[in-house]
Amino acid sequence: MLDILNGVELEIKSAETVAIVGASGSGKSTLLGLLAGLDLPSKGDVILAGQKLSELDEDGRASLRGDEVGFVFQSFQLLPSLTALENVMLPLELQSKSSAESDAIELLQRVGLGERLHHYPRQLSGGEQQRVAIARAFVTQPKILFADEPTGNLDKKTSGYIIDLLFEMNREKNTTLVIVTHDDNLAQKCDRCLLLENGVLN
Amino acid sequence: MIAHFLLAWRLLQRDWHAGELKILALSLLIAVASITSIGMFTQRIDRAMTDQAGQFLGADLILRSPRPLDEKFIDQAKRDNLNVSKMIGFSSVVVANETFQLTHVKAVDQYYPLLSQVKISRDLLAEEQSVNYGPPPGEIWLVSRAFNLLGIKVGDQIELGESRLKVTAVLKHDPGRASSFMAIAPRLLMNLQDVDKTGIVQPGSRVTYMAGFSGRLDDRKKFEKWLSPRLSASQKLIGGSEGSQALNSAMIKAQRYLALASMLSVMLSGIAIAMTANRYGQRHFDQSALMRCMGASQKTVIQIFSLQLMIIGALGSLVGCIVGFVTQEALVVVLKEFLSPDLPAPGFYPVLTGFVSGFVTLAGFSLPALLRLKSVPPLRVLRKDITPLPVSAWFVYGIAMSSIILLMWWQSGDLQLTMLVIVGVIFSVLILFLLSLLLMIVSRFLLSRTGALILGPWKSGLQQIVRHQKENQLQMLAFGLSLMILMTIFLLRTDLLSRWQGQLPEDAPNHFVINIQPYEVDAVNQFFISNNIKSEDLYPMVRGRISAINDVPVLEAVPDKSKLDEALKRELNLSWAVEMQSTSRLLEGRWWHVSDSGKPFISVEKGLAVRLGIGIGDTLSFKIADRSIRAEIISLRSVQWDSFQPNFYVIFPLGVIETFPVSYISSFYIDKKDKKLLNQLIAEFPTLTVLEVDAIMDQVKSMVEQVSTAVEYVMLFVLFAGMMVLVASMQSSMDERVHTAVMMRTLGAKKSFLLKSQLSEFGMLGLFSGLLAVSGTEMIAYMLYTRVFNLEFELHTGLWLSGPLVSMLLILLISRFYTKKVTRQSPLRVLRYS
Repeated sequence: MLDILNGVELEIKSAETVAIVGASGSGKSTLLGLLAGLDLPSKGDVILAGQKLSELDEDGRASLRGDEVGFVFQSFQLLPSLTALENVMLPLELQSKSSAESDAIELLQRVGLGERLHHYPRQLSGGEQQRVAIARAFVTQPKILFADEPTGNLDKKTSGYIIDLLFEMNREKNTTLVIVTHDDNLAQKCDRCLLLENGVLN
Repeated sequence: MIAHFLLAWRLLQRDWHAGELKILALSLLIAVASITSIGMFTQRIDRAMTDQAGQFLGADLILRSPRPLDEKFIDQAKRDNLNVSKMIGFSSVVVANETFQLTHVKAVDQYYPLLSQVKISRDLLAEEQSVNYGPPPGEIWLVSRAFNLLGIKVGDQIELGESRLKVTAVLKHDPGRASSFMAIAPRLLMNLQDVDKTGIVQPGSRVTYMAGFSGRLDDRKKFEKWLSPRLSASQKLIGGSEGSQALNSAMIKAQRYLALASMLSVMLSGIAIAMTANRYGQRHFDQSALMRCMGASQKTVIQIFSLQLMIIGALGSLVGCIVGFVTQEALVVVLKEFLSPDLPAPGFYPVLTGFVSGFVTLAGFSLPALLRLKSVPPLRVLRKDITPLPVSAWFVYGIAMSSIILLMWWQSGDLQLTMLVIVGVIFSVLILFLLSLLLMIVSRFLLSRTGALILGPWKSGLQQIVRHQKENQLQMLAFGLSLMILMTIFLLRTDLLSRWQGQLPEDAPNHFVINIQPYEVDAVNQFFISNNIKSEDLYPMVRGRISAINDVPVLEAVPDKSKLDEALKRELNLSWAVEMQSTSRLLEGRWWHVSDSGKPFISVEKGLAVRLGIGIGDTLSFKIADRSIRAEIISLRSVQWDSFQPNFYVIFPLGVIETFPVSYISSFYIDKKDKKLLNQLIAEFPTLTVLEVDAIMDQVKSMVEQVSTAVEYVMLFVLFAGMMVLVASMQSSMDERVHTAVMMRTLGAKKSFLLKSQLSEFGMLGLFSGLLAVSGTEMIAYMLYTRVFNLEFELHTGLWLSGPLVSMLLILLISRFYTKKVTRQSPLRVLRYS
């Protein structure tokens, strides 16, 4: 049996920006998954937006995520069969929001893709895809945004643009931001930077 | 729910271009179109056959009664919009030139015949003509042998009872007489209005009162439902399908065959749907995980995907029903010369069948894939390696198989046939699997020992086959199974029908001759020989009625359902023979030896035995003339009623019934152009009765033509369904093929090399799939030929040669689209977006 994380104690305040850094295989994504309620720890507990995750079943955690959480992924995770607009609309459609389309258009315009609404992911560059992902993450107005290596698949110039966009929107929406990253530039922009080493968080 | 429906609809629209949903919908459409078109066509043919069979009776329904018919029956029939024709039948003597002759008289009204036509000729040697009326008042029509018996010609007058009537035509064929061959006395057709003048029909006279009814099927059914409870025990209502045992036999075989064909189409479509649904499910793992991330519950995820499938099911079934209707209409146009001009319209039942079958097939074969989507953990968004646990294979195949069995049973209405097919397929799949394992072993051996000789792309193709053994075995099983089903259909259509038609040779007997006296036997034989008439043997015939079973009066001894059996209501034709007829088969017991001569044994036809609940060891008592005889059943036989040779329910050995009054029966073939020989026969042997069964033969052959054409049409759907299986199979391996091809091109392989490699792989897959398919086909054919259709089985060498070749060509043709797609992909794009 392998302990990926060991005695992690962490408190993140509302509107705080936190970077979790560490070497490859140090358990950063595992920690992120636990914090976001995508998985449950074998020992200990996670309290997300005031709710103990161990007290919720999988559907309960899903509901909490839908209300409170947004995600940005390294591989963008856009659905290839949906256009940029449709990808951003999806979270709102799942919540049966009637304003899904108008809200999605607004956010895509905010990220500078107002002219690319009906393009598919394969027609967009990496940076453009991540912008769509960011729009999707913010469209539900989450309280917390988790980003897993958001610039991992991007070149330096594009990374810089994405980082600026992420933090700008974060400030506008007053969201708590938790980022897992290798990128020192990105880590330094956060209020706190935590190092995960041998399963221990410093 | 409505919001989820709208989301499901939008996601469905957006997902449409990916490919799987198109294959899913198309497979479903083909299955539903096949079921619907076959169902509609069968229903229309069935209705038409009932109508055509009504041609023999001259009406759709005939009511027979020994007492005058209640006018209420006639009035009700008219209220139910049916046409009615009244008839009376009796035996009477006619007199002409001081010669007396017993005749069987049928008096008909002005509405006769309701269906079909009467065939007459205006003189003994004149051309035959068809008319749709009976003799006018004051006239009679007589069969030709009566002219010789009475020494009269057309235009003469004869005496019938107290009236004199003019003979104005020779009666060739009158509808309504084919139900019995045993009207020995020459037939006479007269007008009903003349009956009273004859004074023959008096209270207490032995008369059969008849009424014929015709009209739309729904009206007839309504009338029949009203009438049946009001009939007395001695009154009988005869439907159109009772016209001939030969027709029934042919109809049953035809319907079974069509049912089989439609079942196989369902199976193929189910396979295609299963493969496509599985891939669809796998491609939506990410979408499912993402939706869970965004807050969707498991229930919501399943709801959305289920709704998508339901929409596909509804639209696919709807379009399938429309396509089914259109294609069966097109078929009716194509076959119009074989079909009745007014083919009845199809009912709603085939549409309902199509819809239900569509949903059941879709649910049964896509449910396992759907259930996997429910279990996709949301953590997959961070870790792509996490996949939901596969559903238990037993559960998956259990659900699919149960759906198939239920659908097949429903379609065929024959559980035995359904289970035979299922067992055959399962057995075949097992055999195919073992053969495919053998193939892999041979392939590995070839690669290891002859690698140097297999150069370039061919080696690559074979390596691909071996490298992905499981997937290729699955593809081989899929190709092999669908091709096997196609080949089975083809084999049954061509070989089965040709064997069945072989039972009805062009020169099969088309006439029966009865009432040959013992002293005429040699002379009749000589007549056939000297006129080059191909005839069967002359069989002795004694008329007797079954009076008891095991010494218990017969009506007390038989089961309730058999009390009204035809065999108990009339005299049977009993015969004797040394050898069993070549067209019969011994089923139980033993045939007699020469030493059994004189012993009171009998051999009984199996169908009669089953109906009367009798078997080996039971005794039957017969009333023959004014004497009785009792005999023990020592064997049961099958009889080929549609061979049109003299056949007998009961046969005795030599030395038992020869002392009873006997006449002889035979059947023979006369070409249409030689029909005048019949008159010569009658002139030489005026007491013979000759029955022309050409009309029955024409009907049977026409039905065989119709059925075989319908089956070819059915085969188109099976072919399309089989192609969908191939397409689904290729689609499921598409991603990996693209990635492999791209990697090879990145490493320097040319497009032509990739193309050859793909072709060699698909070519070999096709060849081996073909071999597997032919093996399975022969196995299924063996079971069906010997167990279901009672025919002898032989290996089909032509199939072993053509099957694999066709399989290769078919797979190469279908793979061309996918091969192009694989080799044309931009490596950069694929590597970037993989």
